[in-house]
Amino acid sequence: MLNLRDVTKSFDGKSEVTALAGINLAIGAGEMVAIMGPSGSGKSTLLNLMGGLDVPTSGQVMVAGKDLAVESEKERSLFRRSKISYIFQAYHLMPTLKVSQNVALPLHLAGVPAREIAEKIALVLRQVGLEARGSHLPDELSGGERQRAAIARALVTGAPLLLADEPTGNLDTARGEEILSLLRSIHRERGTTIVMVTHDHHAASACERLIRLRDGKVEGDSAATGGGR
Amino acid sequence: MTFLLRTLSLSYVRRHIAKTLLTLLGVVVGVATFSAIRSAQGTLVKGIRSTVDRVAGKAHLQINMVGGVPEEVQERIRELPGIRATSPVIEQIVVPERSELGSLMVIGIDLLGDREMREYGFEGEDADLDDPLLFLAQPDSAVFTRDFAERAGLKAGETISVRVPTGVKRVAARGLLTPKGFSEAFGGNLMVVDVYAAQELFGRGRRFDRLDVRLTEGTTIAQGTATLEKALGPAYRVETPERRGEQMERSVNNFVAGFNVSSGFALSIGTFLIFNAFNVAVNRRRRDIGTLRALGATPRQVQALFLVEALVVGIVGGVLGCLAGAAISQGFLQMMGQTTETVYGVTTSGGVAGLPPGIALQSMALGVLASLAGAWGPALAASRISPTEAFAKGTFQARLSGKALPRIAAGVVAFGCAILLAVRPPYGGNPLILSVIALGGVGLVFLVGPLSRLLLRLLSPLLIRFVPVAGRLCSDALLGAPRRTSGTVMAMALSLTFVLGLGGYMGSMKATMVRWMDDSFTCDLFVRASANFNRPDFLFPGKLREDLLNVPGVRAVESYRGIRPMYQGHQILLGSIEIEPLLERVKNQYFQGNDESVRQGVARQGGCFVSENFYQRFKLGVGQEVELVTPTGLARFPIAAVVRDYSSDQGAVFIDRATFLRYWQDDRVDIYDVSVAGGVDAGQVRNLIRAKLAGKYPALVTTRQEFVAEIAKAIDAFYAIMRVTVFLALAVAFLGIVTSLLISVAERTREIGVLKALGAIPSQIVRSIIVEALIIALVGLVVAIPAGNLFAAFMEGAVAEFFTGWSMPHHYPWDILVQLFIALPVVSALAAWIPARQAGKLKITEAIEYE
Repeated sequence: MLNLRDVTKSFDGKSEVTALAGINLAIGAGEMVAIMGPSGSGKSTLLNLMGGLDVPTSGQVMVAGKDLAVESEKERSLFRRSKISYIFQAYHLMPTLKVSQNVALPLHLAGVPAREIAEKIALVLRQVGLEARGSHLPDELSGGERQRAAIARALVTGAPLLLADEPTGNLDTARGEEILSLLRSIHRERGTTIVMVTHDHHAASACERLIRLRDGKVEGDSAATGGGR
Repeated sequence: MTFLLRTLSLSYVRRHIAKTLLTLLGVVVGVATFSAIRSAQGTLVKGIRSTVDRVAGKAHLQINMVGGVPEEVQERIRELPGIRATSPVIEQIVVPERSELGSLMVIGIDLLGDREMREYGFEGEDADLDDPLLFLAQPDSAVFTRDFAERAGLKAGETISVRVPTGVKRVAARGLLTPKGFSEAFGGNLMVVDVYAAQELFGRGRRFDRLDVRLTEGTTIAQGTATLEKALGPAYRVETPERRGEQMERSVNNFVAGFNVSSGFALSIGTFLIFNAFNVAVNRRRRDIGTLRALGATPRQVQALFLVEALVVGIVGGVLGCLAGAAISQGFLQMMGQTTETVYGVTTSGGVAGLPPGIALQSMALGVLASLAGAWGPALAASRISPTEAFAKGTFQARLSGKALPRIAAGVVAFGCAILLAVRPPYGGNPLILSVIALGGVGLVFLVGPLSRLLLRLLSPLLIRFVPVAGRLCSDALLGAPRRTSGTVMAMALSLTFVLGLGGYMGSMKATMVRWMDDSFTCDLFVRASANFNRPDFLFPGKLREDLLNVPGVRAVESYRGIRPMYQGHQILLGSIEIEPLLERVKNQYFQGNDESVRQGVARQGGCFVSENFYQRFKLGVGQEVELVTPTGLARFPIAAVVRDYSSDQGAVFIDRATFLRYWQDDRVDIYDVSVAGGVDAGQVRNLIRAKLAGKYPALVTTRQEFVAEIAKAIDAFYAIMRVTVFLALAVAFLGIVTSLLISVAERTREIGVLKALGAIPSQIVRSIIVEALIIALVGLVVAIPAGNLFAAFMEGAVAEFFTGWSMPHHYPWDILVQLFIALPVVSALAAWIPARQAGKLKITEAIEYE
């Protein structure tokens, strides 16, 4: 599913900062992988490259057979629309849209017919346990519910790759556990490839594989201690 | 897209109602100004044409002569081949005593012979017009339109009082006209009288204003014109009514075209407000944009979203602007109508300015274009925001694309081209004005950003020294948000450039004319028959000079007569006066020649002297001749001098009164210039003159000061609309500051919260916002001072020279600058008041949580 070859990423500023330095990584379809590392190790940068939100300074980022490093901005957007979905630590729900509208957003962007959208929303909201909250605004939900809504939005397109950036970072232990178990069940039932960036060892243990980063390099790549539980 | 508009955009509007309204207001003000001016302009021109057409009736040709057509001409042409009918006409505007009824156009016609020319559609059984002789036998007879009679509550046989040059006169309605064709001229405010009664009433002597001619069937216009021209000679102008209408239109067109520039300015300032508002919207919604992009929205979809929003703003602002424009267009029409009548002597119908669909569509299209142009840059910036950038914490600014150096270079090139064009224009008229303003505007757009940053950097240390906390906060805010700052400074600089430029031009014009009047209008009293300088209601007989000379205390009297003949397609002024005594009392400023050459060449040898703008326009100076068509044939007048003179924007030629009498054989006089003997009170002499003329002639006797003040007032009226648009430009700039500061406060909510948490007190925050407003205004003013100076110099130089041929000495509007230095801080502080209060009241906990 994901194949990164000699990927480097530098940022220009007053002095150049190298966020990733020669990453080589392969993630197979249907894997559930955690990426850990201290602050500034390059976790989020790596996730952004995997999702085509950014392009590497050099190297190859192959996602589902497509090299995102060489695609145009527009092509990457269209690819992301169908193949990749995202979950953010800060949820990034549109505060003025109802939960159901937030979930429907990627489908509207893709030009899916309205009736189909309604069916898909009902289905994913039921799947994440938010069927009763569809007409609420994000502000009216708890942190856990907001992250569920974000997960529903990620699921609704049926993308085979789900990238999660600190999905439990803003939640207490109980709500975090709920989200992790939801992600596991999605992985199990749908076979979705999940790559999760986290600081949390407990969250990482929910995955099958753990990649450790330090100073922009892969420091370790092994089976997670929880083995995906 | 519909979904995104319905949800994201609409919810943004709902959450930011005040900002949205301010953005809309930018478009509304621009479109309203444009549509009102265009609509008033259209109604004015249509009114001129419609009045000419309707009054002309079935006339194929009209015969005019400068100074009026002598009665005997009718006899001379009556029997010519191809002439079916001729009818004399006198036209005059009068005001009823009940001024709320509006001006009345008096048409003097020959009721016995005019039925061939016009269909009157008399109505009512009691109309005396069944017997025109009875109508003629009663000197107070008049016919009104039914519409006017209804408004005036006037029935057939009843009388109404109207102000005529000789005083208030009661006229009786002997008949009413149905509202059709002729009677719809001048908006129906028509009063038909006998042409010979009109001659008496308006001092026309034994002349008519024109003769209308109807040709026989089978005679072409060209044949008829040739026959008449051959019979009458070159002193007479034979033309179709359409052509006469066109000529009148042309003479007011230059005047009304100037207003397009004003409305263009209003729209461009509105565009910068939109730019600012959208720029801010992009900044505020960056996380939403990032999320959309992460979910698969393409850059083009993001750009389209903002452009569609701009389209909606343009349409809504356009509709509201058109409604506002329709509401204020009547006011513009009245101002324009008064000016065209006073300055150009062209009468309009005083119609109602509506908003024709064509103008409404044009205004809407401009509103939409302005909105799209303003939103284009921010929308592009939005489409270029990468999701990773959007999710990054900290202050975000949609960056200016490109580097500073190419912008400065482009700005310098555009500005340089504007200056070059202004100095050495390859063409003139509106294309010149538009190209110079467009290039200058583009130059300003490119240069304002870097210039304002430089100025802010220079001002920053000073600010921090005098108001340490507020100064630092303010300079951080302004320098940290370059797009917002340059957008606001741009709107401010543009409107101030406009104010200083036009103010300088108007000031220069007025100062120059006042100086000229001081030098030229040196007699003590002016005796006039008409308040209107260009379209006298009445002319004095020449013999009145002797009567005036006999008034005790009068030392000298000169008789001035001005006519407006066509010269090489321009309606110039030909003035005549007794030159020798004139030279004793006026201080002419000579470009060529001197007092002596005038005395010799004009007073003694029958030559002329010309105004500077005549010399510029026709390239004729000393040693050359002016060839004029006179009633006694073609005459050549050698030019003895070229003087500074502002009597006519088309050029003026002055000859001695004796020369005028010889060639024009018309001794009537417009104004008597009266000088009183030394030690005699001019006020007493005025009373004696009034007493002498009472009951015989209409006479306005004014002192020199009153006369000069009256002309100054007419100049002020000419610029009334410009002043309105200047005010609008300032209002839009004011809105720009309010919007910018509201946005600044919203963007820095978290920062303000942190500052408060660290101990900043509300008054420090409030002060920093007010200082921010003052600095924006100051930087805008500093940019506008040289730009406004260049604009004023361009208007006084190339524009004035092209349209009028006048060279006006450059006059920097120091008075306006001083006023701005006083008013701007107050206005800016007022504009900052609401945002500053909002910032001062922010709760720390909420502000820190603000995202």
